[in-house]
Amino acid sequence: MIFDYLLDTLIYIGIYAILAISLNLEAGYTRLMNFGKVAFFAIGAYTSTLLSIAGMPFIVGLIGGIILSALLGLLIALPTLRLRADYLAIVTLASGEILRLFFLNEQWLTDGPMGIRGIPQPMYTVFEDNYIIFYALLVYGILLICYIFAEKLINSPFGRTLKAIRDDEDAVQVFGKNTFNLKIKVFVISSCMASISGTLFAHYLAYISPDMFFPSLTFSVWTMMVIGGTANNMGVIMGAVMIQVFERGTRFLKDFVSLPVEPYNLRIIIIGLLLILFILYRPDGMIKEKKSKGRL
Amino acid sequence: MILQVQDVEKSFGGIKALEGVSLGVEENTIVGLIGPNGSGKTTLINVISGFLKVDTGRVYFEGKDISSLLPFEIARLGICRTFQLTRIFRGLTVLENMLISSNMQKEGLWQLFFNRKKMILQEKVDERAAYEILEFLEINHLKHEYAHSLSGGQQKLLSLGMALMADPGIVLLDEPVAGVNPTLANKIFEKVKLEKKKRTFLVVEHNIDILMDFCDMIYVMNKGKIVASGKPEEIQGNETVIDVYLGG
Repeated sequence: MIFDYLLDTLIYIGIYAILAISLNLEAGYTRLMNFGKVAFFAIGAYTSTLLSIAGMPFIVGLIGGIILSALLGLLIALPTLRLRADYLAIVTLASGEILRLFFLNEQWLTDGPMGIRGIPQPMYTVFEDNYIIFYALLVYGILLICYIFAEKLINSPFGRTLKAIRDDEDAVQVFGKNTFNLKIKVFVISSCMASISGTLFAHYLAYISPDMFFPSLTFSVWTMMVIGGTANNMGVIMGAVMIQVFERGTRFLKDFVSLPVEPYNLRIIIIGLLLILFILYRPDGMIKEKKSKGRL
Repeated sequence: MILQVQDVEKSFGGIKALEGVSLGVEENTIVGLIGPNGSGKTTLINVISGFLKVDTGRVYFEGKDISSLLPFEIARLGICRTFQLTRIFRGLTVLENMLISSNMQKEGLWQLFFNRKKMILQEKVDERAAYEILEFLEINHLKHEYAHSLSGGQQKLLSLGMALMADPGIVLLDEPVAGVNPTLANKIFEKVKLEKKKRTFLVVEHNIDILMDFCDMIYVMNKGKIVASGKPEEIQGNETVIDVYLGG
């Protein structure tokens, strides 16, 4: 029982770590302020759910989500990435909410606030007894792939130019780089990665509803990135671990210590306080950005 | 003529920043651009490099009309600029700064995952070129330092190095020695002079003495117009120049 609970925690950590890495690519390394991460997470969740319900295999749902996320990413990126950074923040924040309201209101498609139940789980019949172990391995396998992919992407001329864009975009153009093009690429790539995370989320819970995709999810992932270590992929994974352990830990705290208030209700205040303290005293997060020695 | 500016006009609201500016730059020369503050020198650099669009007039580089191109397109043709307030990539190391400015297009995602050999080979070639330039500018010992930890003068040297690394036909230097001590300023211009056999320089500078020593040709601007041009000796004696610039 306790073992299952630990695995459950690990699975959530893995899913959020993928989302955090994808945010890190655009916001950490390139400083594209995506405040609508949840939109791409939701696209992944809903697309693969609907495809699976229609009888398609898991992998088709996964790829379908990736394709739709890429398209949405492109749709948002094309008009906004030419503008100043704050416009991207506003547009992404709004698209996350628009999408949630779409899922809430288009009942014919999503069953609205009732949500969708009984989402088929990949290879359930094969691993029936130890399904949670299989799913944990699946999540961590995909996390590993995403991590290696992100590291390769960043430790390359492509990644180096992204970091230069973060410092001074105009100055990058002086060296003949099409910065608009590069920003679109990284935005679309990280949108796809967020969709993968959403797909894993939906098929693990086997139930999704629009109220799982509030903007607070986006900010939770931002917190993981800032506390863990902006522009450090291992750091943001650690951030995901920390926030998840903290969220779950506070639920049990009342069984061990007696406080005048329910500790679980305090968690958001404490996370907010942590965020402020980190930004003030340790802006690089738990693990600092690595310094490149120039070798690929 | 490697660079030709023809009757360029540029206004910001009611202010005419450039009024019928024409100038030509010969290949393998150092051309100076002087004038009081607000005379339009930096605006002209911005227009040539594509950061501002001309209202009317044309800019030609190697005979090609570049006045409607975007900054990165202009850069690809072989025009590289520096900024008045040094703009380097602060969060990258000196070496990485140099590698960014190499004009080889290496950002392709295809080769990153499917042709790593080619990418790494190119990277090594660029690294060697970067070391050579850093050596030449005598900042090679700082190659693994973060750019933001460099002193002001070292940052100026680095931004010159980045411009050279891009291997352009012409370099537009916007006040390359502003705020730099005289010894280092001379050194920077010595380096520029050594590079002259490979490329052309257009230099905006307030330090007249240094320009007199190093330039082949000088243009003088005032209130958005070119008011005088000629060899350093001619400019030195020119009365309008003394009037507008030296306040004689």
